[in-house]
Amino acid sequence: MDDKDNANPTILNPSDLPSRRCEAAAKTRDDGGSGLFDDLIPRYNYLSDPFEEAVSASDSDDDAVENIDEQEIYDLISTISDPEHPLSLGSLAVVNLPDIHILPPTSPLSSISTVAVEITPTITHCSLATVIGLGVRVRLEQALPPRYRIDVRIKKGTHSTDEAVNKQLGDKERVAAALENGTLMGVLRKMLETCE
Amino acid sequence: MPEARPRTLSPLAALAPPSSSRTWQTVPHPSLPIVATACSDRSVRVYSLTSFTLLHSITGGHKRSVRAVSWKPNTRGQSVLATGSFDSSAGIWRREEQSTNEDDFTNRRIGGAEDEDGRDDDDDYQFSCILDGHESEIKSLSWSPTGQYLATCSRDKSVWIWEELEDDNFETVAVLQEHDGDVKCVAWHPEEDLLASASYDDSVRLYREDADDWVQVACIAGREGHEKTVWWVEFEGSGMSRKDFRAQRDGISEEQQTYIEGLERSGPRLATCSDDCTVRIWRRKPRDVPDNAASNTGIPSIIRSAAIDEDWYQDVILPQVHERAIYSVSWSRTTGLIVSAGSDGKIIVYKEQWRKQTPNGVAANGDEMETDAATHQTESPTEWVVVAELFAAHDVFEVNHVTWAKRADKGKRRGDEEVVVSTGDEGEVKVWTLD
Repeated sequence: MDDKDNANPTILNPSDLPSRRCEAAAKTRDDGGSGLFDDLIPRYNYLSDPFEEAVSASDSDDDAVENIDEQEIYDLISTISDPEHPLSLGSLAVVNLPDIHILPPTSPLSSISTVAVEITPTITHCSLATVIGLGVRVRLEQALPPRYRIDVRIKKGTHSTDEAVNKQLGDKERVAAALENGTLMGVLRKMLETCE
Repeated sequence: MPEARPRTLSPLAALAPPSSSRTWQTVPHPSLPIVATACSDRSVRVYSLTSFTLLHSITGGHKRSVRAVSWKPNTRGQSVLATGSFDSSAGIWRREEQSTNEDDFTNRRIGGAEDEDGRDDDDDYQFSCILDGHESEIKSLSWSPTGQYLATCSRDKSVWIWEELEDDNFETVAVLQEHDGDVKCVAWHPEEDLLASASYDDSVRLYREDADDWVQVACIAGREGHEKTVWWVEFEGSGMSRKDFRAQRDGISEEQQTYIEGLERSGPRLATCSDDCTVRIWRRKPRDVPDNAASNTGIPSIIRSAAIDEDWYQDVILPQVHERAIYSVSWSRTTGLIVSAGSDGKIIVYKEQWRKQTPNGVAANGDEMETDAATHQTESPTEWVVVAELFAAHDVFEVNHVTWAKRADKGKRRGDEEVVVSTGDEGEVKVWTLD
């Protein structure tokens, strides 16, 4: 690990990172369409909405955290440490707010939402892209309610083997097996130490 | 859209108690009313389909998740279970079944010994032997229909075939390394020693033995194959044209008769499902010369491949209802219905039926099955329709596996009634009736 893949990464100033304080600016950049009206329509705040009963019957925990937005996803993963630098993925611009999207359930009969995160490796041949992606996926799987499906991908064109990495990150069985691998879990635990 | 009588999947039971962590697969015993569930807590749980309760917990064998289980068929007086684990080994477990006649099992339960049934300590599953060889996680394993062979597959890209020479003496008869990625699933043809494997490399491959050597005889890949990881592969049951909708031959057209005969020459079809959100069915192009005429023995191995190569082509893509990866598909041996499940939490049941005659008289003819599927212009005389769609089968969790099983509880309405058994990420195994 002495030879770092990227010895001199670009580091963002913490005050430039997106946060609640500059929410307005962040929102205008996020024109993906999802979540724009979240604040206007209190979708999940009804306790007696007849249409909600079918899906909300079992999981009371869910209701408390229903209004998860892109900024919250960003806050969950931007504090993950880079595996080779003592810096956060947010400050290295590996994770960026505009590359986070929350897709609502596709049917009124479904309560499954999708969180899509595109990560930007610091350099195109960064061999640690898979580990970083795995860290992001694991962090979100642990922090979000189970009704969220998490799709972590390498941003198109930013990595030489992005399709191969994407395929690995999307493979549930491989991710499950990786989490039973002590060495890899050690690396992930260290990356996630700086969260919360 | 085609019409079909809509059916409803209704919850019958959840096997209790559930596992507290992810469960991967639940497999019905070939003759007893029990199932084995592969659990990520390194154990296998054996549940009763009569009482829906836990009978045995098989622990202490594997060091990581148990990913797959397979019951050995045609055993007498004992149950034999193979387990495949992320610890890269496979285990063989045995349990003596007291009942001399397996059919008595169900009656015996009703007869009163119900409460202590399966609870005696000394009739637990005994560890029998371990099969080492794979370099990384075992993803699937399957006994051949005769019980002679056990196939295993792994992230190490290989498929191994083991032959049980005598009890607990397994010999590796083949290591097949055709795939370019994790091998996700293996399955045997119900009548022939023909093995299929599905992979992370998006392909499906078929193998058979030729002159003491197991070789690849077909590969489904590329433009004609799945676009993403193939998660599951399963053959159609044996002789289904005498059991499913095709069994009713009165009043069928000549074209339909020809179609049935063509399929019977092809033999059981193959179903696969994939990360590309499709379930597909493949069929074998029948040989012009009957197999027994072209006796392969004695042919030098250098030219054998031409003699045993098989042409498997796409029969149909089932209606696309799933929105995320489809992990599992199961083909009923009784009704010919197909059930699928996956990441979107849905369970879908599909039915094949005769297509209604088109008014302009354009109909398929017998030649269709001889032409390349990619260029088929004539429609198949059958079609697949969705007859049941169930959302959130395991609440918000992914469904890792789904299968048909013989119904065995007191509420059973017909001798051959089946239930759907689904296995979820949250550790629950659920049993569903189809009405």
